[in-house]
Amino acid sequence: MKKRGLWWIFGPVIIAFILIAALFLAPFSLNHITKKDVREASVSFSKNVFKGEAVKHAAFSDKKTRYVPFFGSSELLRLDTMHPSMLAAKYHRNYQPFLLGQAGTESLTHYLSMQEMPKALHKKQVVFVISQQWFTKKNSKVAFPEFYSPLQTADWLRQIKTITPTDRFIAERLLRQKQVKDSDVYSKLVTKISDNQPLSATDKKILSLKHRTLLREDQLFSNFSNTDNWNKFVEPAIKRLPEQADVPTLLREATKIGKEQTNNNPFRIKNSFYDSRVKLNIKRLKDSQRDFDYRQSEEYGDFQAVLAEFAKKDTDVLFIIQPVNQRWSDYTGLRTDMYYQSVNKVKKQLQSQGFNNIADFSHDGGRDYFMQDTIHLGWNGWVAADEKIKPFLTNGYHAPKYHINNNYLSTRWQNLMPTEENLQEFK
Amino acid sequence: MLNLQPYADPQYFVYLLLALVPLAVGLYFGKRIDWYEVIVSLVFIFLMFNGKKYHEGYAIIGFMIWQWLLVWGYTLYRKKSNNALVFYFATLLAILPLVIVKVSAPAHWTHVSTLLGFLGISYLTFRSTAMILETRDGSIKTFNPWLFLRFMLFMPSISSGPIDRYRRFEKDITSVPSREKYVSMLEKAVWYFFLGFLYKFIISHYLGEVWLPYIQAFAIDAAQVHHGWTWWLIPYMYTTGLNLFFDFAGYSLFAVATSYVMGIELPMNFDKPFLSKNLKEFWNRWHITLSFWFRDYIFMRFVFLIMKKKWIKSRVTTSNIAYIFNMLVMGFWHGLHWYYIAYGLFHGVGLVINDAWIRYKKKHNVPHNKWTDAIAIVITFNVVMLSFLLFSGFLDTLWFK
Repeated sequence: MKKRGLWWIFGPVIIAFILIAALFLAPFSLNHITKKDVREASVSFSKNVFKGEAVKHAAFSDKKTRYVPFFGSSELLRLDTMHPSMLAAKYHRNYQPFLLGQAGTESLTHYLSMQEMPKALHKKQVVFVISQQWFTKKNSKVAFPEFYSPLQTADWLRQIKTITPTDRFIAERLLRQKQVKDSDVYSKLVTKISDNQPLSATDKKILSLKHRTLLREDQLFSNFSNTDNWNKFVEPAIKRLPEQADVPTLLREATKIGKEQTNNNPFRIKNSFYDSRVKLNIKRLKDSQRDFDYRQSEEYGDFQAVLAEFAKKDTDVLFIIQPVNQRWSDYTGLRTDMYYQSVNKVKKQLQSQGFNNIADFSHDGGRDYFMQDTIHLGWNGWVAADEKIKPFLTNGYHAPKYHINNNYLSTRWQNLMPTEENLQEFK
Repeated sequence: MLNLQPYADPQYFVYLLLALVPLAVGLYFGKRIDWYEVIVSLVFIFLMFNGKKYHEGYAIIGFMIWQWLLVWGYTLYRKKSNNALVFYFATLLAILPLVIVKVSAPAHWTHVSTLLGFLGISYLTFRSTAMILETRDGSIKTFNPWLFLRFMLFMPSISSGPIDRYRRFEKDITSVPSREKYVSMLEKAVWYFFLGFLYKFIISHYLGEVWLPYIQAFAIDAAQVHHGWTWWLIPYMYTTGLNLFFDFAGYSLFAVATSYVMGIELPMNFDKPFLSKNLKEFWNRWHITLSFWFRDYIFMRFVFLIMKKKWIKSRVTTSNIAYIFNMLVMGFWHGLHWYYIAYGLFHGVGLVINDAWIRYKKKHNVPHNKWTDAIAIVITFNVVMLSFLLFSGFLDTLWFK
């Protein structure tokens, strides 16, 4: 090896560190998010976009297109012809959905995600699609690590002015997640919140430095939503959709597509889904959901945190409650009474606090081509949802009057058996 | 409470390298500041075993007292006399804690493994056992209580090797490299650190944390309906195998680089193992310090024992049995699961076939050129990957869980 001085060895390392520090701490933005990037991101389901804030920020401050957050989970992925994104694009509505959520995103994840988009919520409108499948007794947070974003947690901590019961509730929930528990900085700060201690000035400085580096990381990398969903799904749907936007025409077209695509099974499940996910297990799935129970779950508490956030931001929200495919639930033995009780519990929680924009489709799981597969809205279902979404969003923002009741955070509510009596009594 | 697992995240390197600056400055100016090195090592070892891991901290202290007394006692005895039974007994006592910990995992004796187990017990056992064996041979003659501790608890390699040898270590730690030599060690250290970052924090991150979970989920999904078999096993095999390399080679590079900064030339653990032309060569390039340990202290000794006692006449049979025995022991050491033992057997049989093929080649003048070399590399690589699929334990998950 050639003889070299110390500068030859450590010089490049030092320069590399200086460059990295400059890159991460530079006060100006380094990237440019185009309108096309945002449009693609709105239907991309990219985890980078979901966890980050750069792309969302670009979307929700877009002057020309009014992007509206659509919170939800796996149903949003069903990009069929009547999906809200397609309808809005085809008929040049005064809004365009920005889809936030995919299989596995539940209330706690959404709560954190909402922390970094205050401008999209404050006195604005959003759509929130609820799945009863979130409200399971156990393992309700299995997908949390996949969607956990330290940046969002930093955002949450930074915006806490006075510690509310919701903050303490979220802090306790987060401390049970490995990602937070094992992080020196976060576990310390989140523990403080859960103990009702305000963060010190040093804490805030550390947070702001952390926020800055994470934000830069996000600006540099969250742009890579390497999907092509707009061209692959939205453009063909725009071509296929009828020029007439009235409901009967849409329903006729939706029924036609649904019929074409669900003809290989008795459950009216989309053929491709049936072949890949159901067919081979069909015997085992018979009566497999007899013990499913959505009535008692920590998720009710998490959901309350989301509601509190909407109230804090005066967000005008439309909630959509999804049905389950009735042919399928009959086969798998899912108990309808249990399911309806869990829907009633959600509705009680919503209505008693003034969240009255509810599109409840829980009783429509038996309608033709309403569901694309087992538990996800499809063709006719999306048209029905559009009948609620379209007037809600085109009429614009109406100041809501919410009155938050923190008892809904309690374990008493989480574990309450939602019989009619119990629901009526709960205050 | 701050707890630092070795080389686990970028932060660790900042703490570690800052702490090592005074030591490096000393070495650059020709002085080894022993007391400082001991303090830094103790602090970092403490931070590994504190907080929730306090029971591991107690376990390692107990373990060290045990080994210290044992090696000391055996050295004293060896000066006077040399009975084989005493030697076997001492060796047995040296590996006893490790054996108990290994047995307690599948037996679910959680209280035993909490009491005796700690991160790095295997590698510490390898070091002390080797000392007893070399004391028996007479190549280690005296017991230096202080150097024994510094050798056993050498901080950069405490948790997972590379496995150093006492006599080599002793030479390094009791001297100071020349300035020219130390500067070239620093240059290598910088290169190894950054290569390690690439291996562990980038390549292994994608392989193990981004892709593997997906492949695993698809494989489990597909295997459920096809009696435990699926094409997904093929991508799983390559991903898990390559991840094994990049994760462990990255870790080993960190350990070696850190020891270079401390002026100690810890041996390398990997030498482009996937360019091996046969299985034997592979074991000279893969986890080198471990396979050499097994070669010197298990394989060779087993062969000598057979020859000395004249149990078997044929040299070929002797080495074949020794290969299988050696690799089986390695399999058992990995853990008492069928797939680790099968992995050991796989490599033992592989080495036997490898030897037979080399003998056949010599006898029949099989052509040899760069094309046959290329084919040899491809075959060896795939055989190794297959063994790593076995090693990963994923087949156990697919078939029996």
